[in-house]
Amino acid sequence: MFKAKRRTVVTVTAVAAALLGGALAATLLTSGKTNASDTPGNTVEYQAGQRPLVPNLTGKSLTGASMNLSSYRGKVVVLNFWGSWCSPCRDEAALFAGASQQYASKGVTFLGDDVGDTPANALAFTSSQGITYPSFNDPGYAVVTQISQVVPVHDTPTTVVIDKTGHVVGTIIGAAKYSELTALLRDAGVTQ
Amino acid sequence: MTDVHAPQSQPESAAAEDEAARSFSLDQTGTAEGGSGRTTPPPAANAGWLRWGWRQLTSMRTALVLLFLLALGSIPGSVLPQQGSDAGAVQQYYASHPSLAPLLNHLGLFNVFAAPWFAAIYLLLFASLVGCVVPRTFRLVGAARTPPPRAPRNLARLPHSSTYNSALAPDAAVAGAAAILGGQRFRLRRSASDAKDHWVSAEKGYLREVGNLLFHLSLLGVLLSIAAGGLFGYKADKLLVEGQSFSDTVSALDEFHPGRLVSGDDLAPFSVTLNSFTANYIDSGESRGQPSNFDAGVWYTSSPGAKPGTYHIRINDPLSVDSLKVYLIGHGYAPEFKVTGADGKVAYEEATPFIPANTGNFESDGVVKAPDASLGFMGVFEPTVFSANGTLTSIFPAADAPAVSLIGYYGNLGMNNGVPQSVYQLDTSGMTKLSGSPHLLTPGQTWKLPNGKGSITFVGVKQWVSLAITYDPGQVPALVCGILALAGLLLSFFVRRRRVFVRAVPAASGTGSVVTVGGLTRSDASGGFEEEFAELAAEIASAEPGNKSENSGA
Amino acid sequence: MPVNLGYAHASNDFLIAALLIYSLAVIAFAGDYAFGRPKRAAAQAKTAAVSAKALVTVGAADGAGTSDSTGTSDTSDGAGTSGSAAAAGDVPAEALRPQQPVGAFKAMWEAGPWVRWAVALSALGALAHLVAVITRGLAVDRAPWGNMYEFITALTCVAAIFFGYIVIRYRAWALGVFVMGAVVLALGLAETIIYTPAGPLVPALQSYWLSIHVTAMTLATGIFFVAAVLGIMYLVAERYRKRIAAGKTKPGNGLIDRIPSAAQLDKLTYRTVVFGFPVWTFGVIAGAIWADQAWGRYWGWDPVETWAFITWVIYAAYLHARATAGWRGARAHYIQLLGFASLITNMLVVQVFITGMHSYAGVN
Repeated sequence: MFKAKRRTVVTVTAVAAALLGGALAATLLTSGKTNASDTPGNTVEYQAGQRPLVPNLTGKSLTGASMNLSSYRGKVVVLNFWGSWCSPCRDEAALFAGASQQYASKGVTFLGDDVGDTPANALAFTSSQGITYPSFNDPGYAVVTQISQVVPVHDTPTTVVIDKTGHVVGTIIGAAKYSELTALLRDAGVTQ
Repeated sequence: MTDVHAPQSQPESAAAEDEAARSFSLDQTGTAEGGSGRTTPPPAANAGWLRWGWRQLTSMRTALVLLFLLALGSIPGSVLPQQGSDAGAVQQYYASHPSLAPLLNHLGLFNVFAAPWFAAIYLLLFASLVGCVVPRTFRLVGAARTPPPRAPRNLARLPHSSTYNSALAPDAAVAGAAAILGGQRFRLRRSASDAKDHWVSAEKGYLREVGNLLFHLSLLGVLLSIAAGGLFGYKADKLLVEGQSFSDTVSALDEFHPGRLVSGDDLAPFSVTLNSFTANYIDSGESRGQPSNFDAGVWYTSSPGAKPGTYHIRINDPLSVDSLKVYLIGHGYAPEFKVTGADGKVAYEEATPFIPANTGNFESDGVVKAPDASLGFMGVFEPTVFSANGTLTSIFPAADAPAVSLIGYYGNLGMNNGVPQSVYQLDTSGMTKLSGSPHLLTPGQTWKLPNGKGSITFVGVKQWVSLAITYDPGQVPALVCGILALAGLLLSFFVRRRRVFVRAVPAASGTGSVVTVGGLTRSDASGGFEEEFAELAAEIASAEPGNKSENSGA
Repeated sequence: MPVNLGYAHASNDFLIAALLIYSLAVIAFAGDYAFGRPKRAAAQAKTAAVSAKALVTVGAADGAGTSDSTGTSDTSDGAGTSGSAAAAGDVPAEALRPQQPVGAFKAMWEAGPWVRWAVALSALGALAHLVAVITRGLAVDRAPWGNMYEFITALTCVAAIFFGYIVIRYRAWALGVFVMGAVVLALGLAETIIYTPAGPLVPALQSYWLSIHVTAMTLATGIFFVAAVLGIMYLVAERYRKRIAAGKTKPGNGLIDRIPSAAQLDKLTYRTVVFGFPVWTFGVIAGAIWADQAWGRYWGWDPVETWAFITWVIYAAYLHARATAGWRGARAHYIQLLGFASLITNMLVVQVFITGMHSYAGVN
């Protein structure tokens, strides 16, 4: 009698486990997430004390000069990841062109990281949009990979605001709005 | 068969022999619930409902029905375009069947294998499987521990039996038989040594049920491995033009399908550079135009700063980096263009991937967008161009005589409004077509656009490859379970559970005995018990000392 | 690598030779059907009567009932030849000592001239067939199952050789006219409609997995082919048996009476499917391993993969049906034939007409 009961318990448990495993399988077989479809203008802020340190990003600029991030230590850096093929990047280009002029005297440096592009296309873009600050030439996303070790950069465009000590204050995913940019600059200690 | 009917059986032994026969009947299910197929009426009490439902679920008939449903349900998944493998074809289906398509979508028929109803079928099937297998495992363990039953009194009634005269006394004859059977690794049960009748029961073939259970449980293992792969693995695609490189990060990938528990941060930071891609085609004979070889020469690093390695990725030869694999999936042409604007400045210079419309001759379509000069072009690329009555076509897939036909547009490409566009499609709603379209260019030629809008030069031709990057931790477990399933299957088919009984009674003449050997097999999928029994019986008969049978040879 | 035209032409020639020889073999099998079997049946009835009489008289030992143990093809199951029971206990030892069965080739020889010719021609045809397959492989320097034509040629060769095994193991030459007839039909189809000249493989098929995966599928298809023919024969025999039992038809001497009994066909079909099912399973697993190597995933519900799965499930249903009361007889065979239909659909319809990654048939 007892044996039969134990059998039933084991059987029921096994079936329940199978059902659970199967239900898991059913949902998992539909791994449907593609690129993180975050809504544009999504800001991620890091509180003081929890700001990741950006590694020294190195590469070549669009004109062939060598660039590295550590040479800008002591200034607030706005690092914008963009491409000439990318529509939202075009949308926010005017904002960055203007803001880079506006904040130039306030100790803020604007930099770009041009991804998936050729220098010719990128330079056509920057000249037509009036962007004068330098950009990394990053057709293979190497710089993106470097910074992704500490802060996720999964979309184009993405804007990362880095404070004077080289720590990330926050990121804007998608086309940036002026208010979002100024908010992050304020967090980085930049006065209007 | 050399059956000889023995004397009438004694009434009181009928029970014993029935016991041997029926507990070993040819009904392979062995469960009263499972094999009946009779519909038992549902009981009145509530707990009884559960039990009735359980019996129905784990019955063979239900398994049969579910198997049919599984097969039937898979059919639309192969006939209709599926979202997971060819989303473009699904779109086309919508276009060509505008009223039918939404209904089919509602039924989940464009993603059958992820649909809830399909999942319900295989979940129920596996529940039925487990509910059947677990009790049978208990029963197997029990059966393995109990000794074989007593030999029936009338062995001649068994499906296989034979009788012979022996010169030995009954107990010696039976002992000799037991020795032979034991030597063949049968499990034995002997009559008590002081008993009046002498018999031995032998049983063999438990591995059959072990194989059966192993097979079914391994199928479950395969399902769980697939689930693990879906949880922790990911797939990604990347298109690379010759000379380009990419690092494995989400924004670099054209498509990224992570498992449920995978995020973009989990990607291994390797990078791949496509040095060159070679495609060879057969250029003569009946198979002209058929590809003969694809080779993507790459450099790769497993992490930034690591020492680069080289590899040639081919179709059946992926690159392994850490625990990832990089596969060569497709290829095509990327003609290189240089566009100058009205001011003469370069607005665009890039090798532009074109998508093959025809994988036989590789005629390909593509788009060039130069928004900073307000220019856009739609192009058709022919690797080996041939003009027939004014229609352009390609007559060979290799780029032996490349040419591209361009239609030019001037105006607003619609790229400044922030809405992402496909790089393979040009939105001409805000643009006007340039006169002089279409314009044919061969490498090196330039088309000076009308009204001083600029120019476009066809610089040269490069090729692109599409790579698939996959990580699947459930892969190896699935394979192991698959192999175990196969092993279990073979065991369950080719091992037969059988019982052999030997009984000896003293001969009427006073010396020696009459020995009867009987055999019974429970499931004989592969056949062959007849021969095995005949050989066993012959061996037992001829193994008596000094008694060489003339029939012992084949 | 260039195609060796010498071997390619040799392959075509040997295949045509095989077709012709097989056709002659089918005629010989038919001849045995019409003329040889009745003779054997009559002879056997005589021996049975003689030996039954012998058993009743004690002491006369003439090897009762063992001389023509022709197994499943001629004797109906179960009916012993021992007539009325002999006296208890004291039975002549020599007559009743367990005998080893008669060897297969001896039984074949004794079955008559039609059977001898039919089996010999089949063997010769199978040899020519095998040479055709091998020379095709030599012509293209790879395993000769890279497109539909080669696949059908190879699987019919498997079916023919497997049938030879069945003939020897189960003495089933009575089935020859049907199985070999089907082989001739299939081969004829391949030669005429589906023929593809010898040529190299597309890169996706250039892998040693071709030898493993497609070989297994070829073998399994050949075996299931034989099972399907036997299944059809079973259904015919079973229907006829039912009609006799219902009194609607009298047993006569027509073609249909010569078919082996439904019970024997049922058993034989079961054993054939049992043989083929693990091979198919192995083929699917090997295909999954190769798919992972070539396409980056071991299972993607590609149409051909899906139909291979459907076929597997249906044959699994057949095996389950045989163990379920109420599903054992004709119903189970319908399932088995459905499985084969699914297999053929996969081969001739899905691979050719539905685009997927498996479109290697070479047929347009």
